[in-house]
Amino acid sequence: MAGQALRRLMAEYKQLSINPPEGILAGPVSEENFFEWEALISGPADTVFEGGLFPAKLVFPSDYPLNPPKMSFLCEMFHPNIFPDGRVCISILHSPGDDPLGYESSSERWSPVQSVEKILLSVVSMLAEPNDESPANVDASKMWRENREEFNKTAQRIVRKTLGL
Amino acid sequence: MRSILIFLTSAVLSAGVIANAVIQKKQFYPSVVYISKSNPSMAVIYFQSLILVLMLGKLMRKIFLGTLRAAEFEHLMERFWYALTETCLAFTVFRDDFNPKFIALFTVLLFLKSFHWLAEDRVDYMERSPVIGWVFHIRVAGLLSVLGFLDYLLIMYAYQSTIAKGPTVQLVFGFEYAILITMVANTTIKYVLHASELRSDTPWENKAVFLLYTELVIGLIRVILYIVFVFLMVKIYTLPLFAFRPMYYTIRNFKKALNDVILSRRAIHNMNTLYPDATAEELALSDNICIICREDMVSSSKKLPCGHIFHTLCLRSWFQRQQTCPTCRLNILRTPITATQPQAQPAANNNANQNVRPNEAPPVPQQNPFLNLLNDNRLGNQVPNPSSSSSVSSATTTTTSTHPGAPFGAPIPPPPFFFPSMPFMAPYTIPPPPMPQNLEQLTEEELRAIEGNERRHVEERIKLLRNVQTMLNASAALMNQYQMVVANLPPPPISLPLQQQQPQQSSSSSSVAAETAEQQSTKVENVSLTKENDNKNEVKLEDVGSEDETINKPSTSRSSEPTSSKTATTLDSPSTTSTFIANESSTINGETNEANEIRKRRLQKFLQSD
Repeated sequence: MAGQALRRLMAEYKQLSINPPEGILAGPVSEENFFEWEALISGPADTVFEGGLFPAKLVFPSDYPLNPPKMSFLCEMFHPNIFPDGRVCISILHSPGDDPLGYESSSERWSPVQSVEKILLSVVSMLAEPNDESPANVDASKMWRENREEFNKTAQRIVRKTLGL
Repeated sequence: MRSILIFLTSAVLSAGVIANAVIQKKQFYPSVVYISKSNPSMAVIYFQSLILVLMLGKLMRKIFLGTLRAAEFEHLMERFWYALTETCLAFTVFRDDFNPKFIALFTVLLFLKSFHWLAEDRVDYMERSPVIGWVFHIRVAGLLSVLGFLDYLLIMYAYQSTIAKGPTVQLVFGFEYAILITMVANTTIKYVLHASELRSDTPWENKAVFLLYTELVIGLIRVILYIVFVFLMVKIYTLPLFAFRPMYYTIRNFKKALNDVILSRRAIHNMNTLYPDATAEELALSDNICIICREDMVSSSKKLPCGHIFHTLCLRSWFQRQQTCPTCRLNILRTPITATQPQAQPAANNNANQNVRPNEAPPVPQQNPFLNLLNDNRLGNQVPNPSSSSSVSSATTTTTSTHPGAPFGAPIPPPPFFFPSMPFMAPYTIPPPPMPQNLEQLTEEELRAIEGNERRHVEERIKLLRNVQTMLNASAALMNQYQMVVANLPPPPISLPLQQQQPQQSSSSSSVAAETAEQQSTKVENVSLTKENDNKNEVKLEDVGSEDETINKPSTSRSSEPTSSKTATTLDSPSTTSTFIANESSTINGETNEANEIRKRRLQKFLQSD
């Protein structure tokens, strides 16, 4: 019997391949290492990121699902909740015990009930509606608040870039 | 390619050096003397030996480990540089002993250390890899035994040398190898545990506990070793700076292990004593999947006070990190667990009843319809709508965790209408909805805490309001029960007092609604989660609204009206209530819209007339 984390990841992978959510593709990088996944997220419709196809990487800790995975985009992103280096900053990816920024209630943070699918869906909705309360990318957050047009333009440029145009 | 080039260069260079010496001196001994006297030649020879060591390392790696994974390599490099720095620090302490032999010994130490780290990583990887072949087992077993044997030999050598010559640099080596041998022991135990789990088809319950205790014992041994070593070094030489970093980490790990063991013990204790095992019926009612590991629950599962069921094992490992319910985040340590089910319930219901009819019947203790209902359900009656129970329970738990130990309203009041027993109806399993405490009983500070502007306060308020919502739904269900009873009785002996319905403006609520909506939209992820949430066990806080649907569906709007408006009086701040309404209205949907609209108006009307 394999480890608990491995079994759960396999179960989630199976679930995701049987019943994939719309606009999301995810799976382990290789069959030998289930602790590193790649995901393709298509930009949500009716937003500035519509049409984009964003590759991301998920790295799972060995005690998953007790601790959250780390997620980062592999392409260039310009979004208030994504660090310039691609790391995604959403509260369900923060481990339950620590509160790095000191304002989230624990109900918003990681719990074993969450799953890869939910993370990815959260990321999709984060793309649709940035949360500028806790900006990971201050420039993007500022632009999003004060100069929406410029932000939309930048987003469009990134969308085109991910499509190789 | 590059390594081959380096290897060839060094081979050519050393061949050149040796050939040069042999040509000049013609004989063996003079050549050796010549080479060892000449610094450039010696440099080449040292370089060559370094290359040989690296090659030996590669060979051993090929035999025992095969290809290294990227993570293993990174890990190795990181640790290697630290170890190298510490070795250089150690050189400063023993600069009198500084000679080639000394360097050679340190090289051997570093070499062996690297393999210890790799073995450790490899064994840790066992748990994560889907395919473990017999080659893996042979390699790991071989590597561990070779390392253990070498460590033992070197410790013995260091010991004898120290006994014979007094304390020298061998003291450091002996100590280092002793640390390494604890590492081998640790890795071996882990390997054996992992391997035996791999062989069995079911998850091994106590493996985690064994691992924890191993970690603790090994940690303790290491800490003792380090302390003894530092003590000896301070007595004989000087402060061993190079040992401080590893010592710090060892002590930290030991502390963590100790903490883990304590938390684990507490979790196990709590689970064994406080929470009941889930029965077959309860398992059948839920969807029978442990949300932590996503596997079927066949045996050994536990039911938390909030009604959520998990594998005992999954729960235990989670409780080591967090003492909350994974689904609803009820703080299990702060909830009076044993008392929750049987006792909190009457209190809550009686309070609800008090709000409905303050001065009617004389007190009748221990006669609670809800209690009866619950008991009936425990006896195995089928529940038509399990999702309602789960959502209500999640709301319930929010309450309890926010106000731990809050006083339950007033002394137990008379339940208004009372049916001795209602064995024939048990449509709902509604877990005890604890009463939101009476605001009059709160102190000034507490009220102020509830009534702030900060996010925390707003959250607190929303929680209170959800509480009220739970109560409303509970009362609605209760009324439904009464109605059913009324319908079943031949002559209608009880007529429910109906309040006049009045259209009401909702301007005050709309602004608050916008506010709340905004607030909710900031929680991007949570909202989205609930949107896609189709698993009823995963109902989160925001889902509370959806219970309206499930509960109100069977109940007519008529029955819920009087109770709901009265129950709301527990809150006497109008603004709070309107927030509640807004909150509610932002979460309702579809067919329940109408019923809720009416209820909302009633609430407002009531508040105004108050």
